Amino acid sequence: MPSSLLPTLRTACFALLLAALAGSVAVDPAQAQGAGQKVLRMAFRSVETGFDPQRVDDLYSSAVNGEIFEPLLQFDYLARPVKLTPLVVERVPEPEEGGRVYTFRLKPGIYFAEDPAFKGRRRELVAADVAYALKRLRDPSNRSPYAWLVEKRIVGLDEAHDQAVKSGRFDYDAPIAGLAVPDRYTLRIRLTVPDFNFLYIFTMPQTAPVAREVMEAYAADTMAHPVGTGPFRLAQWVRRSKIVLARNPGYRGDTLDTAFADPDDPVDQAVVRDLAGKRLPQLDRVEIYPIEEEQPRFLAFMNGEHDLMQETPATFISQVLPEGRLALTLAKEGVRFQREVAPSVTYDLFQMENPVVGGYTPTQVALRRAMVLGHDRGAEIAIIRRGVDVPAQSPTPPGVVGYEKEFRSGPEQDYDPARAKALLDMYGFVDRDGDGFRERPDGSPLVIDYMHSTGGQSARALAELWEKSMRRIGIRLVPRGVQFSDQLRDRKAGKFMLASAAWAADYPDAQNFLQLLYGPFTGDSNDSRFQLPDYDRLYEKALAMPDSLERTALYREMSRLMLAYAPWRLGTYRSYAHLYRPWVLGYKKHPMYHTSLKYLDIDLAAQQAGAKP
Amino acid sequence: MAAFILRRLWQMIPTLAGVILLVFFLFNWVGGDPALVLAGKVADPATVENIRRQLGVDQPYWVQLLIFVKQVFTFDFGRSWSTNEEVSNVILTRIGPTLTIMVPVMVIGSTLAVLFAVLVAYVRGTLTDRAVMIATTTAMSVSFLVYIIVFQWLFGFRLGFFPVQGWTDDFWTNLARYAPLPIILAVLVGLAPELRLYRSFFLEELNQDYVRTARAKGLSEQRVLLRHVLRNALIPILTNIGIYLPGLFVGSFLLEVFFAIPGLGREIIGAVNRSDFPVIKAVTVYLAIFTMIVNLVVDVAYRLVDPRVKFK
Repeated sequence: MPSSLLPTLRTACFALLLAALAGSVAVDPAQAQGAGQKVLRMAFRSVETGFDPQRVDDLYSSAVNGEIFEPLLQFDYLARPVKLTPLVVERVPEPEEGGRVYTFRLKPGIYFAEDPAFKGRRRELVAADVAYALKRLRDPSNRSPYAWLVEKRIVGLDEAHDQAVKSGRFDYDAPIAGLAVPDRYTLRIRLTVPDFNFLYIFTMPQTAPVAREVMEAYAADTMAHPVGTGPFRLAQWVRRSKIVLARNPGYRGDTLDTAFADPDDPVDQAVVRDLAGKRLPQLDRVEIYPIEEEQPRFLAFMNGEHDLMQETPATFISQVLPEGRLALTLAKEGVRFQREVAPSVTYDLFQMENPVVGGYTPTQVALRRAMVLGHDRGAEIAIIRRGVDVPAQSPTPPGVVGYEKEFRSGPEQDYDPARAKALLDMYGFVDRDGDGFRERPDGSPLVIDYMHSTGGQSARALAELWEKSMRRIGIRLVPRGVQFSDQLRDRKAGKFMLASAAWAADYPDAQNFLQLLYGPFTGDSNDSRFQLPDYDRLYEKALAMPDSLERTALYREMSRLMLAYAPWRLGTYRSYAHLYRPWVLGYKKHPMYHTSLKYLDIDLAAQQAGAKP
Repeated sequence: MAAFILRRLWQMIPTLAGVILLVFFLFNWVGGDPALVLAGKVADPATVENIRRQLGVDQPYWVQLLIFVKQVFTFDFGRSWSTNEEVSNVILTRIGPTLTIMVPVMVIGSTLAVLFAVLVAYVRGTLTDRAVMIATTTAMSVSFLVYIIVFQWLFGFRLGFFPVQGWTDDFWTNLARYAPLPIILAVLVGLAPELRLYRSFFLEELNQDYVRTARAKGLSEQRVLLRHVLRNALIPILTNIGIYLPGLFVGSFLLEVFFAIPGLGREIIGAVNRSDFPVIKAVTVYLAIFTMIVNLVVDVAYRLVDPRVKFK
């Protein structure tokens, strides 16, 4: 090597090293800014889209909206099963006229956060703001993904929507018969049909009241200007990278309601100990980082960069919770964890109008039931779900009204390849040409098309498991990976035989899950196109009833019909582990909320002592 | 030279037309239906149809194509279908983080690659040369994803030299704190193929008669290498850099996703997943224009590097 070149090389290497070291010692101004303040840092599993409550449907944007905006009602933080309580209204309304009318009375003296759109005046929350938000859900120009919450439900609202489609403009000033505002604080909603689950939608940020003047002032980009009455306001937003919430200085304050705390639950008792008597919120600032990849999200928590990690990635679950117990290294650091079986279900759906896998004759039902029996759900949970998820027993997951812990799907859904083969043999699905795969009773080939999303590793693994499981019982199954949007299109259009799916609770009632098999919802939410008059009758009867043992019995009967006709193969109830540092106080994961930041506190001394130098 | 540049600019028009047609037909034939993604999880056909109307995807193809052409020439691609953010803002705000990573990667990577390639070419055939070739071949056979996972775990988590992820809106903080690990990673990963390529360029030059003549005239080895060999090898190197230059603006989506950098690469992946056609259109067209301009600049740069090159 020529000696004259060595200095140049040395200089280059030195410069690189210097740059690297500079990076390692540089101080993040955000961290410096947080000194002395109660700052919580956490990650989201996916990127947000924006913060216009009526325009977003992704979980993470909605979670942020839930901290900035306040819907009329809320679920109590501690009560399990969940319990509706008032938030900005004086009380939870009672159903009137047999579940057709609901009257909300807003608490006076609740104000929106300050914003230039209010031109220096304090802006009080009034009933008209709620009516305005509900109208926004049906304004076609908003393309609201949650329009279905009020669609075909509120008298006159669909007509206003149809008029707007024709004219190109939604008339917000036109009166709507089902949305009456008799005085400043009262909203009276009249429904087209009785609905005893209607109140649940008023716990969702999608129905949270918004100020019309704010929406009009920022009409060009309402996603970036959330102004609500909630405990936090949006302080900084680096799109798809960082969301900073700061305490809303104008927030009226709240305290923890301990009425529903379980005296036998150590988590409840810790929450009560941490928060009792404190004025909420306690956090000054919350920094949220959307990180799609599992490793950096996991390492950021392990590294101490984040204080809370919700939904620990399944890939790392064996490191965090070996044999179901917290890893020793984490326990030494004082890390705590909570397990949650989320109110959601994964399943595979058969297209019931398909000539091969659909239909209601004994032979057609037998094929579906054999496929369900032949699918190795144990392997799905052990390998693909990393032993974390719980086998689903009915379409209704834990944590929602109508879920029955004792209910078992029984032999209809349990893995039993021998019984699957016997069933297929009995109904004439046999291998006639000796190629190792069965033919249909009429001798035509039996080939099952399985549509799945190409989006993730687990989707591909599930497809492989289906293929292997079916090969074991002599059925040829061909997986077909498609883009997410194509999957949506084909499912809506019924262009599939068998497809993977999942559903998370919008509100905690079994009806939210059982509606997925309601005949008239074919093409909307009933993607399997299941149409069984007995099922539909039970569904309609349950819909007109308040929560009761009788209604639960109807739900049970509907689940039994689903298991008998097998339009679905039940997968799992998703289960998550949530980890948090010892200085995070008041944490209890709520099944219906992704975040409940109002109820969190930080032990500053412990945080500073535990922070990495 | 002016005539050459004008002629090249004129030739860009049919190329751009081809890009527009290709993007348009690919989206309409292969891309998913954005209305279904936007309609949410419970959507009736009327709602989906209404969204299609609002997006304009229910218009005849020729009308949609005309709108696309108009957007290209007015530089106004409207708003993102999924986030309602102005497409121009999407590009302007995401390009900064991408360039913060990619410009240092390009500059440091190319400099080091040239430097090491000169040295390795000079000691060709020796144990050092062979060791470097084996090391680079091995390095190239490992996936970029593996490097990211290992480096992030080792330097971010285990050794704690760098933060695992993060980004702020302050350029210097980003450059000093969050960018070094992805930059070092990309430089090291990019070094192996570049070093091998540039070494071959230098070897070719080192075997030329003019090198022997220069040495015979008594020029120092440093002068031979840096003044004569390097200058002549720069033309293929420039070509190579020119090829990779447009990639600066798209960035490495793997780096951006793993280090949570809000760059253009991550945005493009998200846009494709959401069938967000305005963003896809804008990025593709701007990138095509930029590629054509870079090619022109590289061709002009040939002349500056080597006066024997003539514009025809």
